[in-house]
Amino acid sequence: MAKKIPLSDLEPGMTIVKPITMKNGMVILGAGVELTPAWVERLQDMDIDGCYIDAPKEQKITTEEAILQLDERFQPVADRPYMIRLKAILREHIEGLYEK
Amino acid sequence: MKSDTIINVRRTRIENIISLPTVPGNLKRISNIIEKPGLTLDEIGCFVASDPALASKVLKMVNSAMYGFPGRITAVSYAVMLLGLNVVKGLLLGIAVFDIMEQTMRGLWAHSVGCAVAARCIAEKKGGKDPEEFSIAGLLHDIGKAILVLEYQKEYEKAMEGAAEAKIPIFEAEKKVFSDGHAEVAMWLAEKWRFPRNLVEVIAYHHRPSLSQIAPLETAIIHVADIIVRARGIGFAGDFYVPDLNTQAFDLLSLSDVDIKEILQKIDEATDEIYDSTE
Repeated sequence: MAKKIPLSDLEPGMTIVKPITMKNGMVILGAGVELTPAWVERLQDMDIDGCYIDAPKEQKITTEEAILQLDERFQPVADRPYMIRLKAILREHIEGLYEK
Repeated sequence: MKSDTIINVRRTRIENIISLPTVPGNLKRISNIIEKPGLTLDEIGCFVASDPALASKVLKMVNSAMYGFPGRITAVSYAVMLLGLNVVKGLLLGIAVFDIMEQTMRGLWAHSVGCAVAARCIAEKKGGKDPEEFSIAGLLHDIGKAILVLEYQKEYEKAMEGAAEAKIPIFEAEKKVFSDGHAEVAMWLAEKWRFPRNLVEVIAYHHRPSLSQIAPLETAIIHVADIIVRARGIGFAGDFYVPDLNTQAFDLLSLSDVDIKEILQKIDEATDEIYDSTE
């Protein structure tokens, strides 16, 4: 999941997920590049307001709240066989977002 | 008979809605060009290119996760050629509708984008040709809600309250207030905008996919995409509960658990992008 961070938080080993461009649009680093210590240093000297790195997304609510909301949304159809399957898949998907 | 008359009156009113002062200028200009009989790709390309603000919005949309082309498209002429007439028409309407959706029902845009991404993803899995057309169908399937709120705000609020109280989907609550609903309204507009018959059916029957005659697969895809996005709880589409799946439509697509998880992931990514860009 892409997350925007300020340049001061960059560390070697992070992967860039969106191209880093200068103010004039020139691409400095393309998506998919893993940062080396030299790159981090050079980027921090440039006038750029931040970049997107690959990071697990921070969730705005807790797992319990997310599952509670899921139950709530499915309440009128909770006993329908197809919806039971769909809900189980969603539950796994939501729980997966909080792993690690 | 009486309800037929009411519906006809409403149809005329909706079809003429574009000339109303409440409708943002963008939609008026876009609707005018789209209605033109025999519109060519060149004409629509020139129209977009002549308006820098519009052109930059088109490029932003084309390069967003909704379409997912590899690489970056930077020229309007190329985008238009790549997407084809119907997709460009839909894209322009999508841009125009964004303004109305933001103004009438917060969350409807996120719902529509989620649906566009989900529909495209399902279409690709099913090997459909022109997956971009599904993005358009997903993006526009709820346009009727925005138009109804714009034109019948009090009545629509009543329908939304009714849906919340009775825990029924909004399209059922609409029937109690309007006798027709957002799908019909969107169908009238899609016909007025000269969209192809299959796209009109998809929009008209996305809640009742078994009624579709010429595009049952396409309609099933939008129906299922709509429900998956609601199940994920993204955006707001007028009600708080997930409507029931049409089991025939769902079986027709035979999606595996893994397929559905992949769709969910794509929806999450695309809608995160919206929230990021509005921050």
